[in-house]
Amino acid sequence: MDTVTLRIKRYDGVKEWYQEYQLPYEKGKTLLYSLTKIREELDPTLTFSAACRHAICGSCAVRVNGNAFLACKTSLDQLLETFETERLTLEPLNNFPVIRDLVVDWEPKLERMKAVRPWLIPSEDGDPSEGFRQSPEDFRKIASPTDCILCGICSSECGQLSLNQEGYLDPFILNKAYRFAVDSRDAAPEEHIRPALEKGLWKCLHCMECVTKCPKEIDLAGENAYLRQASIQMGERDNKGARHAYAFVEDVKSKGRLNEVTLPMKTEGFVSTMNRIPFALRLIRKGKINPLHMPREVEGIEGVRKIYEHAQGVKEP
Amino acid sequence: MRYGFFPGCTLESAAKELMISTKKVAAALGIELVELEGWTCCGASHIQDVDDFLATSINARNIALAEQLDAPLLTVCNTCTLMLRTAKQKLDRNEQLKKRVNQGLAEAGVEYRGTVEITHFLWVLVKDYGLDRLKEKVKRPLEGLKVANFYGCHILRPPQIMGFENPLNPQSMERVAEALGAECVDFDQRLACCGFHAVFPAEKEVMKLTGINCLSSKDAGADCLVTPCPLCQMQLDMYQPDAQRGFDQDITVPILHLPQLVGLALGFEPAELGIGRHIVDAIPLLRKKLVTA
Ligand code: FES
Repeated sequence: MDTVTLRIKRYDGVKEWYQEYQLPYEKGKTLLYSLTKIREELDPTLTFSAACRHAICGSCAVRVNGNAFLACKTSLDQLLETFETERLTLEPLNNFPVIRDLVVDWEPKLERMKAVRPWLIPSEDGDPSEGFRQSPEDFRKIASPTDCILCGICSSECGQLSLNQEGYLDPFILNKAYRFAVDSRDAAPEEHIRPALEKGLWKCLHCMECVTKCPKEIDLAGENAYLRQASIQMGERDNKGARHAYAFVEDVKSKGRLNEVTLPMKTEGFVSTMNRIPFALRLIRKGKINPLHMPREVEGIEGVRKIYEHAQGVKEP
Repeated sequence: MRYGFFPGCTLESAAKELMISTKKVAAALGIELVELEGWTCCGASHIQDVDDFLATSINARNIALAEQLDAPLLTVCNTCTLMLRTAKQKLDRNEQLKKRVNQGLAEAGVEYRGTVEITHFLWVLVKDYGLDRLKEKVKRPLEGLKVANFYGCHILRPPQIMGFENPLNPQSMERVAEALGAECVDFDQRLACCGFHAVFPAEKEVMKLTGINCLSSKDAGADCLVTPCPLCQMQLDMYQPDAQRGFDQDITVPILHLPQLVGLALGFEPAELGIGRHIVDAIPLLRKKLVTA
């Protein structure tokens, strides 16, 4: 391979177009190296952002062939190998307003982030002059979420956000809510969790894009599960998401398996379920559900129930 | 080749045709499936939202059932695979957790040891069975059938737990479809989410996504869409008429389970594979495209 082609989405504030740049292939370079080379040698008008070049400042994220990467952390060779090509398409992050070329606007996102009160609401156990003590164990709880560099990759890739920009919070914002909710020095976890709940916490599609793409490998999906558990413990059980989850918990305990016939009723209640009658009839016609079918208890169900009892005793957030 | 078969809840009801087709195809290929006695729901990506420890415990029990058979655990569902593999990874990496989980399991008379692998039918075809061997079994090459391979999230992501192939550009589905003689089309939503797990709390968004997924495969010229996950299949097929309401263009596209596609190439008739049970009728298409179908 002698040359690599980067096809870059351009935007000048008015119009958008794709522009191709050809670079001599050099082994062992990063994506950011290629972008810098284009700007320095081919086109000084190409606009992108980057600063630290060490995956710390979070300013260089772009999309390559539809997937977001940190340009400074990503090897060009690996991209060419992954996509089996010599030609890559670069675009700005998804789910952000674009300012110019590959540069996106963070202003509205940071504004949205305030919803979860991304700051410490101090407990009584210390004061600013004395400082706040934290055990190593408690510190470990916030070690991973504080790795977030606000690069925006999770927002770009989020399945729910891509369909619903307003009614859901970006994964990095949920990470912030989590980060303060589990901080032993924080006195008011609810104040971080409740706004997340009100902004569609249960709408997550479980697509696992955020955990897959996060350059800091933060367990964003696991954190989401924690926030939902915590919201349930706060008494927020009366919503579709929590009711749906409980339907599974209860069915496994009573029979071992899911009862697909009662699931919509348990999740949505009677009235909404009635709206699903045409849907249900369609399934019944094809034999997909049998309203008279009652799942039998699985072999060993008593053992399953004992496992439930044991888990109750092990409650640990 | 012998596996501990974990069907998952959908195979008992809404996706019974996947039970039928999986069993027929496995038998025809000489893959022995021994259904785990007393398996329970994997939690379907929901139970951990109530109680993480419980989710791990019930799947430890499921895996222990396969350990009793001393056979790898095989599923035909992406989410079951992810849930079981998640539990396994947690247990194998954390002795203390394993001990506490096993205390509960002991009361049910089982023990999790961590001795068996958890795999999916797709991976078994590619890795354990082998595509050359599969090709030899093909009686009716699916020539002229254009398929859109819809992977579904949980067979790829997160790679730290799934790890079978690169989640950014997987090829296993295409390789299987090509071994069967089908023609694969590339389409934008090939690696997209079906939205199934949020169909209740985010119905509006998920219906839109269903339409986008169907249209994307159609626009690429696909005759049908194939998926290795019954939940994707349900979302794209059962809800297709509902999703259509949000679109002016016709989004209709038949949705097949992976074992059904394999079964067609092995010479089974669509009816034998339960293809008549789908909401979007695939049979006229197959009649037109397949020899003697
Ligand atoms: S330049 Fe700072 S993260 Fe890439």
